[in-house]
Amino acid sequence: MRFLLLSSVMLLLGCASDYRYLRAIQVDADCVNKIAPRHIQTSWYHAGVDVAGNHISGLLLIKNMPDSSNRVVFTNEAGITFFDFGFSNDGSFVIHSIIRKLNKRPVVRTLRKDFELILALPFGKGSYQSWVEGEEVFLGVKQKNQTAYFIISKDCSSLHRLEWGDARKRKVTVQIIGSGYPAPEKFELIHHTFTMRISLTRFQKE
Amino acid sequence: MGDGYSKFRVFGCRLTRAGLFGGGKNFTCALFCLFSFSAVAQYPGYRSISDLPTFKKQFAAQSIAISTITSNFTQEKILSALTEKITSTGKFWFKRSNRVRIEYSEPFFFLMVLNGDKMLFRDDQKENKINVKSNKLFQQINRIVMDCVQGTILDSKDFSFRVFQDDGTLLMEMTPSSKALREFFDTIVLTVEKKDFSVRSIEMNEPLGDVTTISFTHKKLNEPVSDAIFAP
Repeated sequence: MRFLLLSSVMLLLGCASDYRYLRAIQVDADCVNKIAPRHIQTSWYHAGVDVAGNHISGLLLIKNMPDSSNRVVFTNEAGITFFDFGFSNDGSFVIHSIIRKLNKRPVVRTLRKDFELILALPFGKGSYQSWVEGEEVFLGVKQKNQTAYFIISKDCSSLHRLEWGDARKRKVTVQIIGSGYPAPEKFELIHHTFTMRISLTRFQKE
Repeated sequence: MGDGYSKFRVFGCRLTRAGLFGGGKNFTCALFCLFSFSAVAQYPGYRSISDLPTFKKQFAAQSIAISTITSNFTQEKILSALTEKITSTGKFWFKRSNRVRIEYSEPFFFLMVLNGDKMLFRDDQKENKINVKSNKLFQQINRIVMDCVQGTILDSKDFSFRVFQDDGTLLMEMTPSSKALREFFDTIVLTVEKKDFSVRSIEMNEPLGDVTTISFTHKKLNEPVSDAIFAP
């Protein structure tokens, strides 16, 4: 009986929404125009990827193309290309190349969503909803069964992070570290539903 | 360099389809001429070395005279479709046998140490130690790097070879034999100094046209190198 009670409490706690304290507020259009995440400028990053106890590093290029699409290319330090993805503003996605080891549907789907968030693509379309929690304002764009959030200070002066979340769970967080956005010094992407972290540190190429 | 090879393949295909030379001897002869022309066109100034077995022996004997190498390197990766180029620099050490240290310092830090069966990778966040016996891919990478540095690459079963020379250098074009390696490389072209049989450059041509070239400068051969720098 005691075990049943404990399990029920744990289940209830486990089911509690990560967004349960959000309180809906009116969207401040001026603030959205001022601070909504924009497309990342062409930049090179030194990348570290930690997945389930394994660490790989390499170089990541985010490149703005003349047709306003973006290419994301990941190579190892010795120059071997692991993947080359194309992202268009209309939401279409092209795999220009990918090594066999990574060419698995869940891997590609995960990387696609991760980079869509980093590139701020979900924020370019759809209508915003707004919530407040403590000293932060959440601005969200609904996409199928998930919402893309960007989280800002209450006074609309700084962009704190980006998130993917569904109705209950926070799925992915992108921390924007350092100055220079939309080409910040560092991105830290963390998955909350499995162990994966991508760390991108910008460098000047020459 | 990749372009010349493509042209040959395209021309070869056209000849076959059109049947221009009526088949048989003439066709073989035309194809041979075309092939010879292609090899020269691909590497201007170079001529083919036909007696590969003799060259292999000579190359292995000369290479074994190198016991240590210390060198700077510049690596240039060209992403052809994106018209992007990234240049990195660092230092390279080799000590016979089976010990290599490659340290990238600009514009990022990355260290790779190969010591017998052990490999170490370190970036600015983490360090990974691997026993190559536990991983086929790392075993292959380790073997290829060592074969290239120690002068035993021409005995490698991982590649087929064409060898050329000009007055000062040897050029070895390596084409991967296995499907696993062909995924990463169309060819690897190694340029070796004739005067001391040290590697001048390594050019890695990827299937989609991207090229990475590593050029070695300020080479010091057979000078003392501490064992400690290869500690995995």
